[in-house]
Amino acid sequence: MKDIARQRMSIKVSTMDLLNDQIKMESHASASYLAMASWCEQNAFVQSAEFFYHQATEEREHMMKIFKFIADCGGNSLSPTVDNINHDFSNLEEVFETALDQEIEVTKSIYKILSVAKKEQDYLTENFLQWFIKEQLEEEKTFRDILDLFELMGRDGIALKFIDERIKTA
Amino acid sequence: MTKVYASKFYTLYQSDQDRRYYIDFGQKMVKFSFCQLLALRQKIYAVSIEDHFDSDLNKHGFEILILCNKEHLFLLNTFEVLDLMEMVKYSFSLLGISSEIPLTSS
Repeated sequence: MKDIARQRMSIKVSTMDLLNDQIKMESHASASYLAMASWCEQNAFVQSAEFFYHQATEEREHMMKIFKFIADCGGNSLSPTVDNINHDFSNLEEVFETALDQEIEVTKSIYKILSVAKKEQDYLTENFLQWFIKEQLEEEKTFRDILDLFELMGRDGIALKFIDERIKTA
Repeated sequence: MTKVYASKFYTLYQSDQDRRYYIDFGQKMVKFSFCQLLALRQKIYAVSIEDHFDSDLNKHGFEILILCNKEHLFLLNTFEVLDLMEMVKYSFSLLGISSEIPLTSS
């Protein structure tokens, strides 16, 4: 019997399922960053809003990278639905803390896929995920550095204005 | 055609000649490309089987499956859904692209 399944698809279905879940997660992250950008706009944190617009675009690019990878491997990429986006935040620090938590969840999810890929001897997916691991390290560091600014500069009105101005270069 | 796996209601075959899969649904034999077989897997796995046991969520315990670019429509009851899920799960393992069912025994 010919190995038609292998001829048609280069990755395992279990990793394909997890990658499709990851597409959903990246899409959710992108939409969450848009909600954060909206909150920042409404509260006059102009640089932070720009930062989150940029983050939203980046997350969408991550999503597309995975989407295309599944398709290139002969799998079925699933277009995600996004719901439960939080638009309510108490202050700017909470926005960045939520963003960091979100990035940590994304990192955990990438590690989970990597672990399954290793177990399944799916070397193609394992290799593909290396870029994401490096990217997640940078993403987490960016948010940690921003949160450090609140420790250093304080949380009152003028400090928040200075922090917002520094976000541009974050 | 080579038989890949037979469950209670369904049998999956592979044809090396046209590089297609065939599922015998009892009433008819349906031809699948590999991508269509993947789509069947995703559709059957997306079924919320718990809803079949809650009359508010799935009153009649039926599921409608539209397959192969809308070429075929199937109406399955709870037993048939569960059986198709099992058939898909075992078949993908036997095809060597899933380890959901460890195939270590002879």
